[in-house]
Amino acid sequence: KTFHFGSCRVSMSLAEIRAGFTAIKANIQSRDPVRTLSILSHPHSLHKVKSSDRCCMTHQLFTFYVDKVFKHCRTEDSFVNRKISSIANSFLSARRKLGQCREQNNCVCGEESTEKFKQILANYEGLNVTSAAMKSLGELDILLDWMEKSR
Amino acid sequence: GDALLPAPQSVSILSTNMKHFLTWSPVIVLGATVRYSVEFQGEYEREYANGSWIPISECSLTTATVCNITEDISATVAYKLRVRAELGATRSPWATTKGFFSPTMTSLTPPELRVVADGHHILVELADMGPSFQFRVLYWKKGQDSRVQQKVMKEVSSVLHLDTMEAGAEYCVKAQTHVEAINRSSSFSPTQCVRAQGDTSMWL
Repeated sequence: KTFHFGSCRVSMSLAEIRAGFTAIKANIQSRDPVRTLSILSHPHSLHKVKSSDRCCMTHQLFTFYVDKVFKHCRTEDSFVNRKISSIANSFLSARRKLGQCREQNNCVCGEESTEKFKQILANYEGLNVTSAAMKSLGELDILLDWMEKSR
Repeated sequence: GDALLPAPQSVSILSTNMKHFLTWSPVIVLGATVRYSVEFQGEYEREYANGSWIPISECSLTTATVCNITEDISATVAYKLRVRAELGATRSPWATTKGFFSPTMTSLTPPELRVVADGHHILVELADMGPSFQFRVLYWKKGQDSRVQQKVMKEVSSVLHLDTMEAGAEYCVKAQTHVEAINRSSSFSPTQCVRAQGDTSMWL
């Protein structure tokens, strides 16, 4: 499917990522003891990000997941590990397209979304790394829902 | 105790229409049943997870010499695969695929197409090939090759109504698949022609 992130048009198989996440969502979320705090939605929802900032924000979020999250989500469950690998490699492929698009279209992040991304990193750093990574992975549907709105 | 068992040979990937299989030659040990285990590594694992490998449980300690890797090789990145033989506690060295594999390398075959003249209507039946596949159907009135029309099917319904035909006219149809995830299309199916009712109704 083709997604419009601000001035960027990127084709991505979000359905496959969502199917992989749905298959392990309960398992991942059961490993997240701190249900009262959100990494992506605290204090403000992603939906407040302006349309023009979507390209830059999405690229930053994909980079966040690729660089910081997936590597700390290894489990003892082979099925879960395989699905995480599938999602991680799909994110890597999508981030590459987004990166190319961002360069070509010079998508810059506005002040608000820069602040929003800083808040996400602060939420993440506020927990120990494994809990933060599992919580972020457990919130993947929040990111996917926000991206679906970009179609 | 790994040295005595030889690694599997002729390790290769067969990939057609987005279905991917790893195959290898059997390791023969007289009077014994040799088993095999398969692992994969995506670009993410190479670049961000210390080159880690992930086992495919359905192909762990299997006696088969083929493994369906479709579910795991799902992103359009470069993957490596490896297989080793196991006999009791003895394990062979890993045999790793030469070069990389990506779903973009799959071979796409033309769709199976059946064209039916139902009175004045052209109907087309296309075999379902899975959610990744779209179909592009071209049709034209025989002799008017320059006036080709097209329909794109994003999802396969059992029968597609292509058009209403002029009585007695003959129409020709061909189709190809398209996979958006890898942005590639198959070659076209052989052309099939049917004649509309009016002179003689034809069922091909």
